[in-house]
Amino acid sequence: MKTLTLMQAINEALLEEMERDPNSVYFGEDVAAMSGAFGATAGLLDRFGPDRVFDTPIAEATIAGAALGMALAGLTPITEFSFADFVGIAFDEIYNKLGKWNWMHGCCFKIPVTIRLPVGALAGSGPEHSQSPQALFMHSQGLYVAVPSNACDAKGLLKTAIRDPNPVLFFEHKLLYGMPGEVPEEEYTIPFGVADVKREGSDVTIVATSMQVLTALNAANMLAAEGIEAEVIDPRTLIPLDRKAILDSVRKTGRVVIVHEEPKTGGTGAELAAIIAEEAFFDLAAPIKRVGSADTPIPQSIFLEMEYKPNEEKVMAAVREVMQY
Amino acid sequence: MAEVIERDVDPARYDKDFLLLLYREMVKQRTFDENLIRLLHEGKVSGFYHSGMGQEATGAGTCASLRDDDYILYDHRGCNQMIAKGVPLDKIYGDFMGRVCGTTCGLGAGIVHVAYPELGVLGQSGTLGACFVIAAGTGYAIKVKKTEQVCVCFFGDGTAARETFHGGMNWAGLYNLPIVFYCENNEYGISTHYTKAHALKENIADRADGYGIPGYVIDGNDVLLVYEVAKEAIERARSGGGPTFIEGKTFRYRGHFEGDPALYRDQAVVDEWMEKRDAIKNYRAKLIAAGAAAEAEFDAIDADVEKQTLDAIAAAEASPMPECTRIYEGIFVEGVV
Repeated sequence: MKTLTLMQAINEALLEEMERDPNSVYFGEDVAAMSGAFGATAGLLDRFGPDRVFDTPIAEATIAGAALGMALAGLTPITEFSFADFVGIAFDEIYNKLGKWNWMHGCCFKIPVTIRLPVGALAGSGPEHSQSPQALFMHSQGLYVAVPSNACDAKGLLKTAIRDPNPVLFFEHKLLYGMPGEVPEEEYTIPFGVADVKREGSDVTIVATSMQVLTALNAANMLAAEGIEAEVIDPRTLIPLDRKAILDSVRKTGRVVIVHEEPKTGGTGAELAAIIAEEAFFDLAAPIKRVGSADTPIPQSIFLEMEYKPNEEKVMAAVREVMQY
Repeated sequence: MAEVIERDVDPARYDKDFLLLLYREMVKQRTFDENLIRLLHEGKVSGFYHSGMGQEATGAGTCASLRDDDYILYDHRGCNQMIAKGVPLDKIYGDFMGRVCGTTCGLGAGIVHVAYPELGVLGQSGTLGACFVIAAGTGYAIKVKKTEQVCVCFFGDGTAARETFHGGMNWAGLYNLPIVFYCENNEYGISTHYTKAHALKENIADRADGYGIPGYVIDGNDVLLVYEVAKEAIERARSGGGPTFIEGKTFRYRGHFEGDPALYRDQAVVDEWMEKRDAIKNYRAKLIAAGAAAEAEFDAIDADVEKQTLDAIAAAEASPMPECTRIYEGIFVEGVV
């Protein structure tokens, strides 16, 4: 094993996969000369040249639509938006086109497109550079949605995303970029639709995604001092979703708290809670509890940003509440 | 400003087989269209149909210079173009009737969502205008793979107002991509005349200049002129010379969709186009006047096309409807996941 930050792990995945697939191209705003808004694409231009790694005009709809066109003509396009918030600019191209093009044309195409999308509140970036819009795409069809929470998962999932013949939205939390983690030395991939038990426990299941897996783990460790053993499940991909792993854990513990950074209303937790209620209602000892962000735009103020999103205290309070039943 | 090309192409420059091929292609499209409208009235086809009747010279003139592996993104009246590119008629009828013999294997597709990748027909989106940016990506792929293919992006005057028009044209000019943008200016975007939807100097093609792309304005109902201008653009793209913008002036005979009485148009103008500027009628008269072919030869083509069309409809009608489970198939491609 070696220790890499999540950013380094992503960079390794890109270098390895572009080496492996000569038809792969990487393009986007400031990704070539500047190595991207957060530096994930360092070294790609030097290694693969300006045809395969290139800076584009600032035009997300064109970037996403061109990715589809490239895929239709046999390339493996990999791209990024500087901030996931910009999906709104390219919503038609992502939601109506990338996800549906193959199906609505009779299933005769492969669309191996990967779009990297930095999410999450960070250092007062404000309402249009801090959001986590992944739940929007749980409601779409034909798009895979990946939400890694550590370096090892990020590398393995990104390699799968690039190799997969379907479009993948790859949501990376900006606060995780600098987080170190153990990554295997050898070649590996992580399949989609396989959740990971990040911490085993018997009293309550915490289903958490992306950055909030860390919040959940911190909360779980503190709850252990109170005698509460929480199991932390990380779905890793929302589409496809490992329903079985989540339901098995909920059936084991009988209690569930769902934690995510999207606003609570209509967030991923809404769908997860509905699945649990439909499939495992009589296994529950307590009502399902969700911890999401506030149903507000994200404030610029760092002080208010802290209030906006989940934290350990909010998770612990939710767990204590379900433990009272 | 775009160059307005006005010239009378002498049919004597082309051999007879080619001249009659263009005629056959246009008649094939017109006959397809007339029969589709009949099937709509008979209740055998559901949904909206956007007829391309009157605009046949576009597909016939342009696709005549394309290789099988060249790409097209057809437009909202694009059955003409997919037929000209070679998509079998029974497959298109099958899509309109929701039969498994259609390109969508029973999902059903009207004017949108027919794709035929083996002949480079890449499909179309119902939210018009995606063609520009998809073409940009397709053109970029050709450039990277160095395959000397060409992508022709067809669109209407209405779609030329979409934001993606700028994005696609900008990429094409910036990266010198092998794309031919062909604007079928049939004057109306639904009910709105193009002069009321666009801030223009004179023509939509004038915009190409701003992206460093050569722009031409032609009579889009003169199939030989369409052929010559498109051929030059396609050859330029194929040889690394970059994109071209062609605006073909044409007119749609029908409403925006079948059932639209199109009361927003002046009937005298419609009559003028149908009687004096019809692409098929004029081409036939021109070839006869030039002594290139006789009436009987055109009549024989008409009859042959009619038979082929009816056979295709019969084949489509004989094809079964899909199982209900069809909607669950193919949302994701089988792959590594």
